[in-house]
Amino acid sequence: MIRLIGRRVLLTVPTLLGVLVVAFLLLQVAPGDPVTAMVGERADSATIARLRAELHLDDPLPVRFGHYVWGVVRGNLGRSYITQRPIAQDLRERFPKTAQLALAAMALAAACGITLGVLSAVRPGGAFDRLAMLASYVGVSFPVYWVGLLLILLFAVALRWLPPAGSGGLAYLVLPAVTLGMRSIAFLARMTRAAMLDVLSSDFIRTARAKGLSEGRVVLRHGFRNALIPVITVLGLDTGNYLTGSILTETIFGWPGLGRYVLAAIEKRDLPAVQGSILFMSLVFVAVNLVTDLCYAKADPRIAYD
Amino acid sequence: MRALRVTALAALVATTSCGSGPGGRADSARLTYYETYDPRSLDPALSTDVPTGEMVTLAFDGLTQFDADARLLPALADRWTVEGGGRRYVFHLRTDVRFHDGTRLTPATVRRSLLRVLSPATRGGRAWPLYPIAGAEDYAAGRASDVPGIQVLGDSCVAFDLTQPLAVFPKFLAMPVTAIAPAPPPPDLGQRPVGTGPWRFVAWQHDDYLLFAKHAGYWGGAPAADTLLVRILPEPLTRAAEFEAGRLSVLEVPFGETARWRQRHPELLVEKPALRVVYVALNNRRGPLRDVRVRQAINHAVNVPEILATVYGGRGILARGAIPPALPGSDTARAGYRYDPPEAKRLLAAAGYASGIDLQLLRNASNIELARVAQAVQAQLGPVGIRVELVERDASSQREAARAGRTDMVILDWWADYPDADNFLYPLFYSGSFGPGGNYAFYSDPLTDSLILRARRTTDDAARVALYRQIDERVYRAAPWLYLWFPKDLWARRADVRGWEIPVIFNGQRWTGARRGSAGHPRLPGP
Repeated sequence: MIRLIGRRVLLTVPTLLGVLVVAFLLLQVAPGDPVTAMVGERADSATIARLRAELHLDDPLPVRFGHYVWGVVRGNLGRSYITQRPIAQDLRERFPKTAQLALAAMALAAACGITLGVLSAVRPGGAFDRLAMLASYVGVSFPVYWVGLLLILLFAVALRWLPPAGSGGLAYLVLPAVTLGMRSIAFLARMTRAAMLDVLSSDFIRTARAKGLSEGRVVLRHGFRNALIPVITVLGLDTGNYLTGSILTETIFGWPGLGRYVLAAIEKRDLPAVQGSILFMSLVFVAVNLVTDLCYAKADPRIAYD
Repeated sequence: MRALRVTALAALVATTSCGSGPGGRADSARLTYYETYDPRSLDPALSTDVPTGEMVTLAFDGLTQFDADARLLPALADRWTVEGGGRRYVFHLRTDVRFHDGTRLTPATVRRSLLRVLSPATRGGRAWPLYPIAGAEDYAAGRASDVPGIQVLGDSCVAFDLTQPLAVFPKFLAMPVTAIAPAPPPPDLGQRPVGTGPWRFVAWQHDDYLLFAKHAGYWGGAPAADTLLVRILPEPLTRAAEFEAGRLSVLEVPFGETARWRQRHPELLVEKPALRVVYVALNNRRGPLRDVRVRQAINHAVNVPEILATVYGGRGILARGAIPPALPGSDTARAGYRYDPPEAKRLLAAAGYASGIDLQLLRNASNIELARVAQAVQAQLGPVGIRVELVERDASSQREAARAGRTDMVILDWWADYPDADNFLYPLFYSGSFGPGGNYAFYSDPLTDSLILRARRTTDDAARVALYRQIDERVYRAAPWLYLWFPKDLWARRADVRGWEIPVIFNGQRWTGARRGSAGHPRLPGP
């Protein structure tokens, strides 16, 4: 296990370097200029030229990339061109908010999605199964934007049970977590159901039943445990996605997370902020993948990594 | 696995249970406003956009200021005199002004604060309101170590020597970028501002909210409310929901919802013409658009009143010139280009384009209303033979292309920085303002140039206004734009909010008179 972790951590270095190169080059190719956002709607060419020079925007590409990588290696993500704040501090402020929303959405998705999937698989084709699968079909199909606004109109404006937007206590978390988690609930339910159906028709399940085990024990201990692998895959992927920010949900609910931060940085061509965020997100993704792999090994000891 | 699950849950509980949001409480002494995105900074030197400028206006003062109707008022300076035929301004400072940290405002503070805005090390990018001062541009470019044009006179006056007479200079000093910060500034001025303004900074959660408390010792009298919460809410429909849930004091009515709000909440609505103009810049140096007849044809081919009424919710006044009606120098009686497709076709044919022309029109997705207007313009230009390709860009690349002159047409709006016709002529039509300076139409006319410069130097107001009218008329006939309209702002104000009116210029609302009373019986202001 330790060797596995060590090797994965080492592999992270070339991954991150690749991410840095791609992010850097893409931002160079994209039209737009960070200085236009710094000077506002009315400026003179002399100021623009001076700012470009001060930010080394006119230096050759390899030189600029070298400078940036050297900064990153020393643990310095630089300062935003626009706000002049340190990028690392910005990320430190946003990430806990994003993590809070992501974990809430995933907890909700895991609890509801897996339950729905398992219950559907117990009696495939039954009334519950059909209803649950219809609901999950609808859940996968509805756009996040539309669901978010509908939830706000219903629970915040009409019923006044929950605040429409902002961040704070638990009440603020409910609507964005449901909005964000809904697709995962639906997807997980379908995934769990399919995996369970597959497993429940295996020989060892018949054996377990023949031994006289209760149906609950058969389904949960023997069936579910063996159906876990695809479920963990989906959980891991979605967690990785959500932990790196969810632009639509954060925008609708005014949630101060990473997604909005990156979007604003891209809109203003705030190069250090975009690069720093992408680097950070890649790190998060790599970490989530590592945890997912460890979960595989835990769920199914047959999976050997060496 | 179990350990992981437990820590994840613990983290979730820990992060969700601490503190209730600032938007939650609704005490009567609190007002709640919003911005659509997080301000850049709270450092006046960095105020290059509207949210930053509005927030700087709460915590800081300039030597002068605008009220909600954009009248120029004294602020840190209680009066000023003009000498040397308009080349020298002497500002007399109030003697009772203190910063939020208790330090006294002195003329030396004013001088050092303005030098900091100009200093290349500040990287502000928007020091142009100070450039008329002798020596300022050299200092900003790093060619000089001082600005001789800013002088401290005695213990209560600051004098400015300008490179040439400039009638609008006192208005430049009301812009957020020239607001006065302590000198030397506190270590983190941009994050924890210390100003002289009516609102004292309390907290800033980025992308979430800013919180201000009233500055009890404000020279202009403490604000009527105790606290002002400014939330960051990017989505218009969410903002509307927040207002309807009673959690915002005021709200700009979303464009798509204009009719519904007029019908459902007429008693809450307030409306006022803004110092803003919406137009399509026609690139006067490119292709068929070089011909004035083609540009006039475009103005005849588009049914602007219809687009205004249908696409823009009727929230505007038709533009027959670039100077908004509220400003001296505008001419509301001017004969405009009437909607007349046959005339448009005739003009096109006369210009040698009887078989039509192909043009691109740039729009950007972050301004949905203007993007829709662009579509309507495209549809109306088609029948007269002007085939328009809509090009959708994001705001940054649209601006870059337009500034470089690489576009045929681009739909834009122009917000006043200072309430003066000069702000709608010098940046937009002076040939020295090409591209980044604001002249996106690349309109160039030597006589217009000389008239604009003469108006800037003219100190007699009546003569200046007459010049503005003449310039606007001359430019209008040359049709460098497709003239659209001057927007009217439509806001909803909660029934219990008093003493707040729509500012016609973005930094004209300081929230000092605003307060919350009972909806039915307006509370009398206290002693």
